[in-house]
Parts: sequence; C-alpha cells; structure tokens
Amino acid sequence: MGEITVTINGSQLSGSEGMTILEAAQENGIDIPTLCHRPELTPIGACRICVVEVEGSRTLVGSCHTPITQGMVIYTHSPKVLETRKVIVELLLASHCGSCFMCDKANVCELRRIAADLEVGLPRFRVRKRYYPIEDVSPYIVRDLTKCILCRRCVRACNEIKKARVFGIAYRGFDSKVVVDFDQPIDKDVCQDCDVCISFCPTGALSRVKKLGEEKKGKALVISS
Amino acid sequence: MIPTQGKKQEDLLILLEEAQNKLGYLPEELMAELAKSLDMSISDVYGVATFYSFLSTKPQGRNVIRICKCLPCLLKNAQAIIESVERETGIKPGETAPDGKFSFELTNCIGACDEAPAMMLNNEVHVNLTPGKISQILKACK
Repeated sequence: MGEITVTINGSQLSGSEGMTILEAAQENGIDIPTLCHRPELTPIGACRICVVEVEGSRTLVGSCHTPITQGMVIYTHSPKVLETRKVIVELLLASHCGSCFMCDKANVCELRRIAADLEVGLPRFRVRKRYYPIEDVSPYIVRDLTKCILCRRCVRACNEIKKARVFGIAYRGFDSKVVVDFDQPIDKDVCQDCDVCISFCPTGALSRVKKLGEEKKGKALVISS
Repeated sequence: MIPTQGKKQEDLLILLEEAQNKLGYLPEELMAELAKSLDMSISDVYGVATFYSFLSTKPQGRNVIRICKCLPCLLKNAQAIIESVERETGIKPGETAPDGKFSFELTNCIGACDEAPAMMLNNEVHVNLTPGKISQILKACK
C-alpha cells in the first residue's frame, strides 16, 4: 500500500492507496455529511450529499466513492460545495412527505439532522408529493414508502449483509420505488427476526412493528401516598 | 417459455425483449422463471422490466400508441395530442381499451425531437402530429 499525499482544505495530509476522499477526510477529523453511504455497504454515490470540490475536476465529485490520487487538491466546505449540498437536501425534502412532527423517527432521522446542520429552511420547490399506502402485512416490518428517499441503503443491506435480496428498485424517474417481488407489500419469511434493513433506514420509511400496549409491559409504577 | 440455457445476468434485457416480442407482454410467471434461472431476485427482474417503456408487464392491445413525454414534444404541445388520443380511443395513458384494440402509453424520447410532437404506433413513427392527423391515423387501425 503506497502513501498518497493530498491537500484537503489547504493542509497537506497523507492517506493510503485505495482510500476514498471521504475516508481520508474522516481519518483527519474533517466531517463530510453522508446520507446514502455507510461504511459497511458498497458506496454508490446516489444522494450526492458528500460532494466535494476537486481542483481540475469539471464537476463536484462524490467523496464516498472517489479514490484519492497523488497531489489531489480537495475542498470539503467551499461555498460552492455548501450551496450544492443545501440544494440537494432541499430537493430531497421537496418530495419528502415532510410532516416530521407526526413521524416516529423525528428526532433520530438522518435527513432531518442533515437538513438542520446545513440550515436548510422551508422548501422553495413545489413538487407533487407521492403518497403510498403503509405496508403492515408482515409481522416483522412496517414500510411507509411515502417517507422513502431512495438512498438504497435497505437494498444494499439486504443484498450484502443479510444476502436475502428482498428489495429491488423498479419504475423510473419520479415513479422510482423500492419494491419487493412484483411490487407487493412486504411479507417475507426471511424477514423474521432480521432488522438489518430497518437499522439502515435513515428516515422513518422502515420500522419495526409496534405492538399495542407494549409500554404497559414495563415494571408497574407504584405511587405511594 | 424462453430458453435460458447458458444465459447470464447480463443477458436479462435481451431475454425480456425476446419474451416481449413473442408474448406481447411479460407475465409474472415468466419473470419469476427468468429470475430463478439467472440467479437474480424477482424484484431486480421486475425493476428492469418496469424501467423500460417498451417492455410491458400487462397484456397490451392490438395497437400500441406511444406518445413521447419528453420536453421537446411537450413544448410542441404534446398535451393536445395526448388529449385527442384520449378522446379518440376513450382511454387514458397507461390503459388498454376493454375491446383490446388500443393500448395507450407515454414513453421517453423516441428520437424524433426535430419533428415534434411525435408518437409511435406499434413500430411506426408518426411525426409533426396535430389532433386532426391523430384521428386519421387511428381510423386506419384495425
């Protein structure tokens, strides 16, 4: 493994061959936001949140899937990068259902956290929203695709970690959707006692089945007067 | 239904096209069979089948009308053409007439932008469309 020297935000850093820009930055304490990327999964560069500016490159590049090369000059937080990230989140939110205060994942939602970090305000873009019926056929998993942002983390987690290949992406453009078999509500035996995709979902699109009255199973609260 | 000996995952699109030509659409049993013999998931096969507008997962009518929904055609008022086809056939995009005479679909660019608005009727391209032309073309259909 050869050593590679790169310049990130003006300071010279070294990384090893085969490392991505994101990894090199993280190793040196530079925080680049990511959404579709997880270190456990194959990077696909779908969401574009992690874009950075590379000198000599015509466009911004996705840092999660671009390997570093000798002498690369990278800016991770230039005005152009920040503006681009902000617009990307605005576009994601524009077609997202957008009722955080009604959502169970409200305070743990990665999309919401990134939107807050980048100070994305109220959406400027008016896009027709698509609502899908909630899929709660399976006793193990509930899918609410209205909240899905098509990051494909569930697809990759199921393919690469569980190796069950339950999900696929079907249709095209605005109609794109994570589907199971022939676009059926999810109800698979392999999903039994497997929470892999749920733990990877950045939004509230995938969740465990919440049993009614679960809160009452705790220790009884005794109020002594 | 479609021979798959020695076929690999990268042959999927060709096999789907073959099936589409032979059967007129892609039945679920066929897609499930293909997924099994190519060692793919059904959802991946379905994903490819639904991505392309020239592959259909539902039975189609004897004549398939495909109107381009891309920007150049829309700027040349494809909407009026779409509406006149709706009037002539009584069906909306994505539907098949109950008598099986027509299927009506919106498709991505068919490469006739210079003569927009354009449509395909079965395998024939019709260009510079007007609502008047539509009723003429559709009357000739059996």
